[in-house]
Amino acid sequence: MADGPALEVRGVVAAYGDRTILKGVDLTVQKGEVRVILGGSGCGKSTLLKCCIGLKEPAAGTVKLLGDDMTVMGAKERTALLTRIGVTFQYGALLGSLPIGENVALPLREHTDLPNDVIREVVRLKLAAVELNHAEYLLPSELSGGMRKRAALARAMALDPELLFCDEPSAGLDPLTSAELDDLLLRLRDRFGMAIVVVTHELHSIERISDRAIMLSQGLVIADGPLDEVRAMEHPEIKAFFERRAAGEMRGPQSALEAMRSGA
Amino acid sequence: MARPLDHEIAREGVGVTLRLRGELRRDVVNELKRVLAAEMPRAGATLTLELSGVTQIDSAGVATLVQAWRAAKSKGGSLALGPMSDAAERALAMFRVGEPPGDAPRPPNVLEAAGASMFAGRDAGWEFLQLCADTTFAVAAVLVKPAKLRWHHFIEQCIDIGSRALGIVGLITFLVGLTVAFQSAYQLQQFGAAIYVANLTGVSMVREMGPLMCAILVAGRSGSSIAAEVATMQVSEEIDGLRVMGLDPIDYLAVPRFLAMTLMVPLLTALADLLGMLGGFLVGIFYLDIAWNAFLNQMISSMVPWDFVSGLVKSVAFGWGIALIGLHYGFRVSGGASEVGRTTTASVVASIFYIIVADCLFSVLFYVVL
Repeated sequence: MADGPALEVRGVVAAYGDRTILKGVDLTVQKGEVRVILGGSGCGKSTLLKCCIGLKEPAAGTVKLLGDDMTVMGAKERTALLTRIGVTFQYGALLGSLPIGENVALPLREHTDLPNDVIREVVRLKLAAVELNHAEYLLPSELSGGMRKRAALARAMALDPELLFCDEPSAGLDPLTSAELDDLLLRLRDRFGMAIVVVTHELHSIERISDRAIMLSQGLVIADGPLDEVRAMEHPEIKAFFERRAAGEMRGPQSALEAMRSGA
Repeated sequence: MARPLDHEIAREGVGVTLRLRGELRRDVVNELKRVLAAEMPRAGATLTLELSGVTQIDSAGVATLVQAWRAAKSKGGSLALGPMSDAAERALAMFRVGEPPGDAPRPPNVLEAAGASMFAGRDAGWEFLQLCADTTFAVAAVLVKPAKLRWHHFIEQCIDIGSRALGIVGLITFLVGLTVAFQSAYQLQQFGAAIYVANLTGVSMVREMGPLMCAILVAGRSGSSIAAEVATMQVSEEIDGLRVMGLDPIDYLAVPRFLAMTLMVPLLTALADLLGMLGGFLVGIFYLDIAWNAFLNQMISSMVPWDFVSGLVKSVAFGWGIALIGLHYGFRVSGGASEVGRTTTASVVASIFYIIVADCLFSVLFYVVL
């Protein structure tokens, strides 16, 4: 493992057509830390994640994953780099035609020459880590949403990634499962020094796992640092986020009542 | 990518100690497995693993050790852990040993599969009848009260099923008419009866080839798209969404498609008839050198209006079948993306099968019974 940060994002600009989503974002994730990306809906969290994992090419700026810039790589090195990171998608992105066990085994079969019985054992270790052993032979369509999410995490961990991206890992889970998932992420960080990037809205989860947080608003970073510092900042949107106050009430369009009363 | 495994085997009496050093990662797993298999303890014996020199161990390494532990246990031997490094201890503590949920599901044997498919067939048949009944009632309700129809959906479907198919249906049936005329011309010329190419092409196009070719094309184009669209809606819970909003999926999805088929397939068939006859006509005047008015006269006088009407009657029945089969397969799907594909294929095969069988029955009905 080379030294230096696990993920280094410098001045990333990203746009869909004319709409600029990210307007120059910096983000550094050190090894062995859990980094939480915060922000309201539509602030660019998911786009930032897509830029990080190479699903979207930034219009400007650089992204260095584990010290390497994916955009200047050949296909082979790119694949090799992708085997060193893990990603869980918001809705799991499990392959519907494969049982859960095979979904987890897929990266192992494709990227390693491990014998089949070892692959099976790795799959069981990973499924045990997310408490899904009973689901090994079930199809994703036979699982609940929360179970699918955990299965997706097991698949993301299949190759022991050095850097793990999780998009909304605990959204839609019951509090207990969500807490267990958080603990699992923390154990992965502590035991293997894994760097973990989490996009989430769940305040409980943020407070439990976050080493450092970054908050986006309208494509810009408005806060970056340890969670306590971020929380203490005097910024209306940050205050609204942590105090669970609807920001829309402060700056949204007028209500019908106000608009009609003003008589304009 | 294999790396040599840094290991050492010490034998003291009956006990065997395996000392592992360095990084136990997936690139040494094959080697590790071989060493462990060679030293697998016999019943009553013990293999001690010393991991004190292990600097790193990943999940594949842990999995290999767990495998060996299981294998030793099942043979009555045992695998003991000697001193170990912090890294090894952390990794072994991190992963919990998962047990498989019983045996892997066994694929059903021939008898079970046959029985299951019979029951599935019965259920599918019952559901199909229900869909037919529901659609009939819903369509009747719309006919009584046309304002109930979702007109813009209906028009959208008409454009999709009808207008967008004009080109391909016209071209294919023109070519079929041409082919039929050539084939019959070759035979009839031998008897000096070339003029009867007009009869043959005209009657076979309007009674048989026009409706049939048109229906097969519509089944391939629109039947498949109905099945795929409804199936995708089903697997992404959009149909459930419609239901809880108080919208009946039959009213919302089935009725516009069914009515659009009812209207558009006969219209496409009329076009198919015309272009098929045009194909025959061109063969007649250019290849057989028959005067155009003589050929046209012969063609028209060989047909009675019923020839044309029976073709259109058939085509309406084909259209209903295509719509209902597509909807049926779409509503019945469960699972994910791969099921949508399989369902779409199955619906097209079923539609074409239905069309051929129905065509056969209609021929018997029109020629023998009536």
